[in-house]
Amino acid sequence: MSKKKILIFDDDTAILEVITIIFEENGYEVRISETSHDILEKVEDYQPDVILMDNWIPKIGGVEATKLLKSTEAFKHIPVIYVTANNDIVALASEARADDYVSKPFNLDDLEAMVAKHIQEPA
Amino acid sequence: MKLIVIGGSAGSLQVIIEMIKNLDNKIHIPIILVIHRKAQSGDILRTLLQQFTRIAVVEVEDKTELEENKIYIVPADYHLLFENNKNMSLDSSEKMNYSRPSIDVTFRSAAEIYGENVIGILLSGANADGVEGLGYIKKHNGKVWIQDPKTAEVDYMPRHAIEEIDYDLIITPDTLASYIKQL
Repeated sequence: MSKKKILIFDDDTAILEVITIIFEENGYEVRISETSHDILEKVEDYQPDVILMDNWIPKIGGVEATKLLKSTEAFKHIPVIYVTANNDIVALASEARADDYVSKPFNLDDLEAMVAKHIQEPA
Repeated sequence: MKLIVIGGSAGSLQVIIEMIKNLDNKIHIPIILVIHRKAQSGDILRTLLQQFTRIAVVEVEDKTELEENKIYIVPADYHLLFENNKNMSLDSSEKMNYSRPSIDVTFRSAAEIYGENVIGILLSGANADGVEGLGYIKKHNGKVWIQDPKTAEVDYMPRHAIEEIDYDLIITPDTLASYIKQL
């Protein structure tokens, strides 16, 4: 069976390194993007099974990037997990039309469980 | 008291995680991590690293006192200096080598305060930061360990260090923890 693919939008390279290590150890394939304005091209190219979207991602931000994805017929089924340290996480995730959300700092096991859940039960 | 200072940039966290996992939840020498990262990243890196060990991972605050069996991480956007052989201080002066925290700043300060008791370790990275600081550690009779560039995700930093510094040991992600345990 081919590996499930996670596309992560974040610009904090140290955090990305840790998350990548964890998911690769758990049998996932990971690709990262440090910008979000090109989300449609990135998704088209990688065809991820799930997306992790940071709120403060450069260029257009997590909310706009997620909205763009969710308004695109070909990609709106891909689950997006919204990730932020912002207290308004519920409102931001809802505005973005994300499928789920996780607060920073997060527990790595919880994040992995959430990703697994969305891959098994696509939105 | 001995002191281990580890400097790393791109690609260094896989080595640090491997090391932390293999330390068996116990160290008798404090370890200071100087890791380049985004200025506004809060304490998430500390929280993530803590999930790999029962050794306390502490983000340094101004005047934090050094204790055994702890791993200290320098907060994003500050330089870390040693005030004396007990306390650390944070400094928000200019970036060095485009970096804050700067590995050179902490290596140099550690060399001046701890002299021969410092073990300076430089890992993977794309920046020149850390090489000059290793030179200070060596000059003050401390020990210099460098990651084998062949095992580094980004070999620029360790490669330059090996070319320029009279090092004591070449380490790999697999061997780092065992060398620390032998100290």
